[in-house]
Amino acid sequence: MRATGSEMNTLRKVVAIVCITPLAAFGVAACGGNKSGGGGGGGGGGGDINVALTSFPDYVDPQLSYTLEGWEVLWNVYTPLLTYKHAKGKEGTQVVPALAEKMPDISPDGKTYKLKLRPNMKYSDGTPIKASDFTYGIQRLFKADSGGSVFYDNIVGAKEYADGKAPTITGIKTDDNTGDITIELTEANGTFENVLGLMFAAPVPPTTPLDKDATNNPPASSGPFMISKVEAPRTMTLERNPNFKTVKDAGADEVTDAGVDKITITENKNNSAQVTDIEQNKVDFMVDPPASDRLQEVKTRYGSRFRMEDSINTYYFFMNTERAPFNDLKVRQAINYAVDPEALNRIFGGRLHPTQQILPPGMPGYSEYKLYPGPDMNKAKQLIAEANPADKNITVWTDDEPDRKRIGEYYHDLLTQLGFNATLKVIAGDVYWTTIGNQSTPDVDTGFADWFQDFPHPDDFFRPLLHGDSILPTNGNNYSRVNIPANNAKQDELLTKLIGDGGVEQQYADLDKSYMEQAVWAPYGNEQYTTFLSERMDFDKSYHHLLFNQDYSSFAIK
Amino acid sequence: MVVPVGELEVPGEPPLPTGVPASQIQGRSPWYLAWLRLRRNKVALFCGGVFVFIVLFCLAAPLWAEHIAHTGPNENHITEKVLIDGQPTNVVGTDGTPIGPGLHGQYLLGADQNGRDVMVRLMYGGRTSIYIGLAAAAVTTVLSVIVALLAGYYRGWIDSVLSRIMDVIWAFPVLLLGIALGTALAIGGLKIGPLAIAGDSIWIPIMIIGFVYVPYMARPIRGEILALREKEFIEAAVAQGKGPLQIMFSELLPNIISTIIVFFTLNIANNMLLESALSFLGAGVRPPNASWGTMIADGYEMIYTAPHLTIVPGLMIIATVLSLNVFGDGLRDALDPRAKIRLEH
Repeated sequence: MRATGSEMNTLRKVVAIVCITPLAAFGVAACGGNKSGGGGGGGGGGGDINVALTSFPDYVDPQLSYTLEGWEVLWNVYTPLLTYKHAKGKEGTQVVPALAEKMPDISPDGKTYKLKLRPNMKYSDGTPIKASDFTYGIQRLFKADSGGSVFYDNIVGAKEYADGKAPTITGIKTDDNTGDITIELTEANGTFENVLGLMFAAPVPPTTPLDKDATNNPPASSGPFMISKVEAPRTMTLERNPNFKTVKDAGADEVTDAGVDKITITENKNNSAQVTDIEQNKVDFMVDPPASDRLQEVKTRYGSRFRMEDSINTYYFFMNTERAPFNDLKVRQAINYAVDPEALNRIFGGRLHPTQQILPPGMPGYSEYKLYPGPDMNKAKQLIAEANPADKNITVWTDDEPDRKRIGEYYHDLLTQLGFNATLKVIAGDVYWTTIGNQSTPDVDTGFADWFQDFPHPDDFFRPLLHGDSILPTNGNNYSRVNIPANNAKQDELLTKLIGDGGVEQQYADLDKSYMEQAVWAPYGNEQYTTFLSERMDFDKSYHHLLFNQDYSSFAIK
Repeated sequence: MVVPVGELEVPGEPPLPTGVPASQIQGRSPWYLAWLRLRRNKVALFCGGVFVFIVLFCLAAPLWAEHIAHTGPNENHITEKVLIDGQPTNVVGTDGTPIGPGLHGQYLLGADQNGRDVMVRLMYGGRTSIYIGLAAAAVTTVLSVIVALLAGYYRGWIDSVLSRIMDVIWAFPVLLLGIALGTALAIGGLKIGPLAIAGDSIWIPIMIIGFVYVPYMARPIRGEILALREKEFIEAAVAQGKGPLQIMFSELLPNIISTIIVFFTLNIANNMLLESALSFLGAGVRPPNASWGTMIADGYEMIYTAPHLTIVPGLMIIATVLSLNVFGDGLRDALDPRAKIRLEH
């Protein structure tokens, strides 16, 4: 999944202008953003808390959301048949039963998965959770053009359904009376349990619009929280799901209960103001790491409620391999030689581990290598001279979050130094991914991108981002438009195997190198995340999940 | 003929000699009289000088960039070092904090987060801001004068239609209208017939700012035209067989030129303020190009550790706008001391 940037919150910035001008006049500089008041506390597993984020989730819809911010919120709202263990570190990457009674029975050929829905569970609005709701959720993925649909198109009949040639997905059979769910795959898939644990596959009530974004009226929930209010892209409120008891009573022990009664999530574009709000206990948690200029202060003064967190991700510049000049391998290699990860690390305030490969540390198949030692501007210029691209007009894309804008400006300058006529396009973060992931958007040449693991399997870093089938008309994630038949076939072959099978990890490492030999991206770093809480929060209970960032069910007031 | 006492007397100037034949007295044009009045307004003159200094300062940007800073306004130097007191110092620290202002040739006003020289960006940004201010004022002036001449001369339904259009534009708050237009045009640019402007062109903010201020200038000028339209010299011109265009441009326009000059001057200041606001909001000058507004926006996030990134361009905006406003007021008093020209919004 991607980490969303977001649009300038215009009204808030208008207010800021009013502040800035007179402040500059008097030589004083201090201007905060929106400050939400601290919620009413309350120990003993209750209370209201406030969360600030810089970018509102892309969608408040389990089938559509594909950003870090969205998944962080929705993980504790929509529960799939399987889920990931609510635990920190590697333990959190373990798939466990959730709405399903137990882990699936898999046929010897690996193509058939049988699950059974727990009985007598209800959504937050009181509607019974039925086995057929799972089918409906998967159908929504295809009808609403979800970027997550690529994980499920190996279900028998899914492609026919997506193309409108079949009224339903024939490979999913459900029985609402018994709760039986049978899924037939076209071929064995080593990641299918993982993808069943994503919110993409969460059952939703059939009253949810099949082919539309439900952000403004999210479906009823099946997790510990329900969404009681959404004012996208400004604020949303999570409250305890009154019917979550039915899920727990059905035996879903791995789905943890909420530690607070209410979470108010508010977008605040001013990262510094978020930091100040937490320091002053007006906000209880900030989703994004503190800005680089506040990081040292937070580390030293608030060390008892701040910590750095591991996160499995890769930051990179995509290059559209279908268009000049990036359809030339030498140009793409030149960019890899020229990019300076240390420069970008400083933009991140020192939270970036330099890299030049696709798989991040911590991901099975990761094996460190460096094909393009540098930064080496001379080598890069030499390659550009050899390539001598006829088209030197490049549009560089990034979003308007401060770090991203700086990254875009750095990259723009780099391309200018290499002799390109680069134009920087900075667009609102809320629509950034959908814009560059839309094939009809003109001049998507190159730009900022990142990827956070959806599940702990290397296929997650290849299939959605680099497989030819992931070049979608809308909501695509293959921004480089990479389609290398041999590598597609290798991905498909590896997917039929389990990661623990002999040699599979090494083959993924080889696949990584194979893509980088083609310089399909210019990767530059893996980012560390942070946890920074207000004083009233129980710092020890709250933890950072490797897949979904902060686990909102772990929030608790002292 | 002998000039009587008191006639052509300029307040504050020595009285004209009496009993002197008119042929021996040097004629004083309205412009000369305006200059005499302006010359007495020392504050306005000082502010005019400040503005000229700021313009010269900004025009010197390439010289400073080439000979002193040795860098362009958009060149990043994140991992480079600079010698300060003989010690190599990171332009941007490993924690992302840029160096601050100091008496070192390069980075006189420090660096920003991308290791760009703030002084260089300030000078280039000033060129952008002043250029937009001037160009947008020219756009506003041309459009306003055309609208005012048509509405004021023809009156009737033409006046009604044009005035209602002006009312509609006036009804929107300037900043919100500017943001809406700026955001809408940022990606696709502007295409009106043969006129095509790319989304990242500096002409987008110029056209937006030039457009949103038209009613604020057109309405008062239209009022003056309406009044002038009733004067005898217009009737005389009509009687002489002059056509509408001839009357508008040879009779009416020269009579409102002083008003136009004053509005133009005051408009520059307002335009620069609006440009800064739009750029700060991401709807004006497109990054990585510098303007004082984009510089404030870029420095806004670092206000705790690098406040100079915000304060310096803020001070420049204030100095420029203040000097232009005071000078514009002085110019108004000099050109038309009885007029009540005010740029209201």
